[in-house]
Amino acid sequence: MKKKASPVNLTGFGFAVVLTIVMEICAREGWLTSYVPPPTSIFAAMWTGLLNGDISSQIWTTLSVYFRALTIGSALAITLGILMGTYRPVYNAFKVIIEFMRPIPSVAMIPLAILFFGLGATMRTVVITYAVFWPLLINTIYGVRAIDPQALDVARNFGITGAEALRRVTLPSAVASIATGFRISASIALIVTVTTELVAGNSGIGFFISQMEQANRLPPMYAAIILTGIMGFILNMIYFTLEHKIVFWTPAAREQTT
Amino acid sequence: MTEFRKKHFTRGNFSGFITPVIALCLWEIIARIEHTVYIPPVSQIFATFFHEWFSPTFHQQAVPSLYRMANGYVFATVVGITIGTLIGAYKPVYKLLDPVLQFLRATPPTAIIPVGILLIGIGDQMKIVVIAFGAMWPIVLNAADGARLVPFERLETARVFGLTKFETLWRVILPSASPMIAAGMRTGLSISLILIVVSEMIGSTDGLGYYILQAQRTFAIPEMYGGIVLLAILGYTLNMGFLQLEQRVLGWHYGATTRPV
Repeated sequence: MKKKASPVNLTGFGFAVVLTIVMEICAREGWLTSYVPPPTSIFAAMWTGLLNGDISSQIWTTLSVYFRALTIGSALAITLGILMGTYRPVYNAFKVIIEFMRPIPSVAMIPLAILFFGLGATMRTVVITYAVFWPLLINTIYGVRAIDPQALDVARNFGITGAEALRRVTLPSAVASIATGFRISASIALIVTVTTELVAGNSGIGFFISQMEQANRLPPMYAAIILTGIMGFILNMIYFTLEHKIVFWTPAAREQTT
Repeated sequence: MTEFRKKHFTRGNFSGFITPVIALCLWEIIARIEHTVYIPPVSQIFATFFHEWFSPTFHQQAVPSLYRMANGYVFATVVGITIGTLIGAYKPVYKLLDPVLQFLRATPPTAIIPVGILLIGIGDQMKIVVIAFGAMWPIVLNAADGARLVPFERLETARVFGLTKFETLWRVILPSASPMIAAGMRTGLSISLILIVVSEMIGSTDGLGYYILQAQRTFAIPEMYGGIVLLAILGYTLNMGFLQLEQRVLGWHYGATTRPV
């Protein structure tokens, strides 16, 4: 019999706490460089920053750009992916362009985007949308193409074609692959969001980090970095849970529940 | 229907090139008519590309980037596989470190560049450390998962044959985990490409990221596009090279465990 694991990994979190305490002692005793402040001062900076709005307003900006770009990018990628997976001429028309565009690191597009859109949130949205687009597009095409042709034939025999077939056969079969693509895209999106703010932002948590670095205000800088990690962690958890709620009929999801 | 669909998607390697050619021609024509600074004609971009990158510029800007990336990535791979496999092979250690590792992976790797600049400065070392640090976590976590999920029968068999702990690790756990490790290494590779570009944009005096951003700031627009094209070629080559290598090194594994798709 398998022992029932406790829902929270207490040992692991205990270890994290111990690690923090060790760091605190090392920093207070001056065993580390002065560039590493004690964790208590970092958490204090995090607390005040979140309360007085210094950090929380930046997080809000970051998240709003992040979700906007993620929505636009997903809508475009899923639409084009379904078209490319279903119709051969569309697939042939775009496949070489995709092969050339996909390997460009999205951050290389930042200077180009600055040229056309300036330094504001629009520029960042464009770069993030670009980054989000590719993994999701590829996964959507794979998902649509992996449909059992017999399922479509059966649907056709029952007189289900066009939009109806898309809704009742194509999408339910492809949704698992699309969800995987979405999870990859979403984690890339957060990286690119913070990166664009860091390189060429005028607001957002990444901008805040680089500003604090230049002002040599280290506790708020570390606090903001830790908060980006926490943000990533929470977003990952949300997507993971949603995926298993929405795509409950696939083999992978079934394995998880049993 | 099956036959038809198969043909449907494998044929037409040629027709795929029609749209890009049309798109490039349109770009050329529009750029020549409009004369905007921001969109130079394609012919000019390619002329600049060849002029710039088949010259000492390649040595000055691209070679440093490649050097930093190679160093950071190799370090990340060696350390990542070692730590990851050990963590995964010993469950208590895995349980101990899991939350810390999950958090480190969730942190956008570019966010640590400012820390790198503070602690190390803006030299080569900072970039190598940042790349090694950022590219390591996907490799560690994948190696740990791969080592943790080794089929029970294989471990039992190893014990029956009297393999020592080290032999089990080297001859059973590591090979079993290798496909997962390869997947982690691929993620790590694309992360290191992002990190090299960004770290050179933020704190550097040479390298591809610096070159592109500088070209944009000085309105050397064809040079900027040329740099992006070079990065695209670099990304494509790295990805293809990795896939080829993976097929070579792990071909036996995929042949033995999965059906050909």
